[in-house]
Amino acid sequence: MESPLTSTENRIDTLRKCLFLSGLQESVLSDLALKAETLRVASGETIMTRGEEGSAMYFIISGKARVHDGEVIWAYIEEGEVFGEMAVLDSEVRSASVTTESDSLLLSIEREVFYDALSTDPEAFKAVLHAVLKREREIVSEIKTRSTKLLSYQKEMEIGRRIQADFLPGSIPKVESWEIAAWFEAAREVAGDFYDVFKLKSSSHLAIVIGDVCDKGVGAALFMTLFRSLIRATSLYGCMDSTVDKADAAGKAADVLLNSILTTNRYIATTHAGSSMFASVFFGLLDPDNGELIYVNAGHEAPMIFRQSGEVEMLDITGGVIGLFPAANYTVETARLNEGDLIFTYTDGVNEAKNLDNQQFTEERILKVAAPEGNNTETFLKIMFDAVSEFRGKAEQSDDITMLALKYLPPVSAD
Amino acid sequence: MATLNFMVGQEQGNVAVTVLRVEGDIDAATHKTLQDKAAEVIEGGATHILLDLGGVNYMGSAGFRAIHAMTNMLADEESSGLSKSPYLKLLNPTEAVGRVIKTLGFDVYLDIYQDRNEAISSF
Repeated sequence: MESPLTSTENRIDTLRKCLFLSGLQESVLSDLALKAETLRVASGETIMTRGEEGSAMYFIISGKARVHDGEVIWAYIEEGEVFGEMAVLDSEVRSASVTTESDSLLLSIEREVFYDALSTDPEAFKAVLHAVLKREREIVSEIKTRSTKLLSYQKEMEIGRRIQADFLPGSIPKVESWEIAAWFEAAREVAGDFYDVFKLKSSSHLAIVIGDVCDKGVGAALFMTLFRSLIRATSLYGCMDSTVDKADAAGKAADVLLNSILTTNRYIATTHAGSSMFASVFFGLLDPDNGELIYVNAGHEAPMIFRQSGEVEMLDITGGVIGLFPAANYTVETARLNEGDLIFTYTDGVNEAKNLDNQQFTEERILKVAAPEGNNTETFLKIMFDAVSEFRGKAEQSDDITMLALKYLPPVSAD
Repeated sequence: MATLNFMVGQEQGNVAVTVLRVEGDIDAATHKTLQDKAAEVIEGGATHILLDLGGVNYMGSAGFRAIHAMTNMLADEESSGLSKSPYLKLLNPTEAVGRVIKTLGFDVYLDIYQDRNEAISSF
């Protein structure tokens, strides 16, 4: 079909509009215009692909295209702009892909045609060189701007990371007859895992929390601060009466536990319903005097109790993840730790750590590696972490790793 | 690029049930496609959805977020006080997906069926 845009005058106009060729004399432009081909390209068509060889450059007469590498978009270009010229000038492969964003009309000029036309006018090379250098200066300036912005984002992330670290306990409380250790290794600069260990104000119970907010990065980090703070605030300043006698302490502690989980769940599920953000949480209240542990496991990896006898007890879920369904119910369960027993809680950064063959570390390996006998809790966690790191090998740590271990110390022998 | 394939069917039980079958991995890259498809069938009039996960070999947390968003889209006053959605149920999850559903306790929030007819008549 004959289009008015394919007339030689219009082709020359298109070429002249392009900064890349704006310094060329009329006779050269006219020569190029005569030898250029007009292409009609439908929206969504990829005209060139990064890494492939190519011998033509294209000028956009009408329409719009994106310059990209896969899903990463570098720029949008439109009428009067050129693409594909780099590979034409240096004969290297395409440095980017270009895909039309709308039905477009293009002029295409082959490498040989371009160099032939330029060779008729010694000034033409100079003009093209100037245009190329001008573009290079623009690119250098753009890189400088982006580097400055990147640096400022990195600083912000670092500040975020430091503030977030404040949402993890600075130190772990000392509790007589108990040895407690924690391990936290973020996969990115800000993380979605959290843990907490604190004493209730109104009883001798020790709160143990470990959680994993879905997703990664800044979004997960923001919600981590919310989940952690709500759980801590509702259990520290919640409903427990300080005059509770010892006999009723466990019952009251169960109320504190349930109230904390229910309130946290309801708050996030209603106030942030549209975000669909959730966390798996294990929340236990330990009576350090007798080893009784009441807990809610809200969709979290089952903590393991390693008995001194060698048996292992798993504390399976007592409800679903928190933050999604306001009317969710949770059950409080009870476990008892005896002297010499160790409880180990962790996030899925441990059991789902992957090696280069895409195999997971798995719960079975945790059970195999666990060495509660004769090791203090810190060493126990270090052995586990080293085993995970060794298993992962050169594969990237793709998720946060958080671990918490508590050991009920056996009585010191009188000898 | 990873994609999801969908098949939409209509069944009549006690109420009209839209069976949405998904095929592919539901992860960070694809969960929005599921959410968009669900929005499309809900806008088209679907009020009860049976999500057939028989063709899903992997579902990450993004997939669970998308399922939660679906329960939100289908929710009304009657369902707001319930701990389980009466409007969205799951069908036939693969072993791998079923394991994650159990770990996260999603079976507490959504009914899961292995049998299609039983699932349809449960609405």
